[in-house]
Amino acid sequence: MSWGTLVQRLFGGKGSKEEARNRLQMVLVLDRLGLSSEQMEALRKDILETISRHIPIDSERVKIDFVHQHTPAEVVINAPVRRVRPTMEAPKQSAG
Amino acid sequence: MSGRAIVITSGKGGVGKTTATANLGVGLAKHGCKVVMVDGDIGLRNLDIIMGLENRIVYHLVDVVRGRCQVRQALVKDKRFPNLCLLPASQVDQKEAITPEQMRDLTAQLREEFDFVLIDCPAGIEQGFRNAVAGADEAIVITTPDVSPVRDADRVIGLLQNSLGDPQLIINRMSPEMVKRGDMLNQQDVLDILAVRLLGIVPEDEEVVIAGNRGAPVILNERSRSGQAYARIVRRILGEDVPIPEFNGNGSFLNRLGRFFLRR
Repeated sequence: MSWGTLVQRLFGGKGSKEEARNRLQMVLVLDRLGLSSEQMEALRKDILETISRHIPIDSERVKIDFVHQHTPAEVVINAPVRRVRPTMEAPKQSAG
Repeated sequence: MSGRAIVITSGKGGVGKTTATANLGVGLAKHGCKVVMVDGDIGLRNLDIIMGLENRIVYHLVDVVRGRCQVRQALVKDKRFPNLCLLPASQVDQKEAITPEQMRDLTAQLREEFDFVLIDCPAGIEQGFRNAVAGADEAIVITTPDVSPVRDADRVIGLLQNSLGDPQLIINRMSPEMVKRGDMLNQQDVLDILAVRLLGIVPEDEEVVIAGNRGAPVILNERSRSGQAYARIVRRILGEDVPIPEFNGNGSFLNRLGRFFLRR
């Protein structure tokens, strides 16, 4: 262990195995489904589009993860909602 | 009477398939079982040298399949254990020299005579793997607690589940020290990821290298920690309920102290 790592550890830094675990979990879900990273990107785009049609979200910060806490694995989508300032305008009457 | 045919496989090379096959073979023979170890790695045979039997080979697997000799002419008897035999691989042929059907026939023939047929599978998931798996009715998957062997093990487990059902897992070369400081996947991490039954854990041990040098599998060294681990695995294969010792620690004292203060 290098001194840098040692000092980090003394102050409660997590070991590298957490990284191994997370990376493996992600890659194995893709392996098992036979999904390529392009297909993942397409999925991300689709989800983003669908949600933003209804809710304003921060598209830069949308994250898709696979969680293995339970079997079968779960897809977890994190989409931070953008804060929208209320406007003073009277709501428009829908044409009817 | 029909014996059990067990294939020892991993996907990734160099994680300890051959070493495990040799140790399980010797261990089962020590328990009085009649055992044949089949080297399935045609073109890259190694079980012979790990067993210290490299100078006693006359015929090999491909000779048997091609009808150039009888099975019993190709079997190399281990003089240390009268009920332990090796069926060596050919060193000059290719994996394609035999077919899964031929391997199935051969295994069927061997299990008539032996209690255990242990098949040492080559690395990879191509023809060599298909041959080795063809005649087996159980599988043991070996991995080390590193990212690439675990990933490959997952692939192999998927392939095996289609044909043989759930394999059992041996985690090899586990370092208790690295697990303790959080720098190595522990048994629970590996099991969470691979979701199969754990057959045993073999700790990292220099004695394995020494055993290889001498051609005397480490299970013969009863004081070595890896030898003891293999001995426990053998008893589990024979149906005994032997607990698996935990390799998990809560981290070093300073590590825990650091976490304690950070939580405040």
